[in-house]
Amino acid sequence: MTIVQVNGVKLHVQELAPGGPLRSQPPQTAVLIHGMAGDDMASWYFTLAQPLADAGMRVLLYDLRGHGRSERPAQGYRLADFVADLAALLAAREITGKVCLFGNSFGGTVAFGFAARFPDRVRAIVAVESAPPIPVWFARIGQRLDRVTASMAAASPARGGGASRAQAEAAAGTGARSDDPDERLIRRARRTRELLADTMIARELPASALPDPERIAAVACPVLCLYGGDSALRDLAAETARLLPQAHLAVLPGQRHSLLIDRPDLVRGHVLPWLAELGIAGSSQTP
Amino acid sequence: MPADQRRVLAELTEMLHAILGEFGTDVEITLDTTFRDDLGMESLDVVSLAGRLQARYGSAVNLAQFAAAFDLDSIRELRVGKLVEYISRSLDEQAPMEALSS
Repeated sequence: MTIVQVNGVKLHVQELAPGGPLRSQPPQTAVLIHGMAGDDMASWYFTLAQPLADAGMRVLLYDLRGHGRSERPAQGYRLADFVADLAALLAAREITGKVCLFGNSFGGTVAFGFAARFPDRVRAIVAVESAPPIPVWFARIGQRLDRVTASMAAASPARGGGASRAQAEAAAGTGARSDDPDERLIRRARRTRELLADTMIARELPASALPDPERIAAVACPVLCLYGGDSALRDLAAETARLLPQAHLAVLPGQRHSLLIDRPDLVRGHVLPWLAELGIAGSSQTP
Repeated sequence: MPADQRRVLAELTEMLHAILGEFGTDVEITLDTTFRDDLGMESLDVVSLAGRLQARYGSAVNLAQFAAAFDLDSIRELRVGKLVEYISRSLDEQAPMEALSS
């Protein structure tokens, strides 16, 4: 497991080397950023990471601070902290040129925040079910975190013990079987509760200082935004389009917020041709 | 079980125990063991396994590519035996090229 220390926090990092016939030399770097609370790099790793590598990109994935296998400091969860981690991670990996940022949900917000701060460092942004760092979106994040905090009056699930992890989860009532369609949601909720119990994220993140809207509007790189037609995030598409008129928006009918992991084929079907058109990546063999 | 598969299973078992830590040590791992129901593995554990496989076997064994045919949930329904087969096959395919280059 690769661990990179940035800003005093150890981050879990994985990298896939470019494969297939390279469209550009040196290859473009893709950085894949997952969502907040309950998400981790796996949602990109098993959906888009390999197809991007096959299309000739160097692919870097990491778990955000407090998430996945990365270290979980008690505080430091403002938008600026996540942006600073990304900048420091690129420096630590000696990536000095422009990068393509891919963000799922809050990960896209980190991407836009990074681009607002370092506009010369971003070649393109792909945002799945996401929005730039704007007040209406951070208010919703705050509401969601508040709801979880309120529900945490219930006993927290057992952690650890001598039994196998499957047994420990069964005992805690959180280990749903494979035929349970809600299993993924249950796991996400458990991970979110753990993050909120261990850290100040519920207070710090919604109170983040947001970039001046002019700084967001100054992001001139190509932007692709995908939204699920049945997702609440879709409301934010209009504001995103107003700030970033160059953005190519696609609404996928019937899809929800979990678009990336529900229908990676649809996401690939939008992202890969868009990258190929920009000359960023070759066309991939993977459908 | 052929000798090379037995060796791969032993190495895979060691990696899985390292990933699962305290949870995994008392679980016997066989070809029939499933990632999720028997080992309680989450998809991020499978990412960890991919990294370890790459470190051990090099680019010949690419779990991300192997997994591209599955969705996020069905990866975790995998049986250890299926992965052992994939690894053995990948190493076999690589062997002739190594012989040529050495």
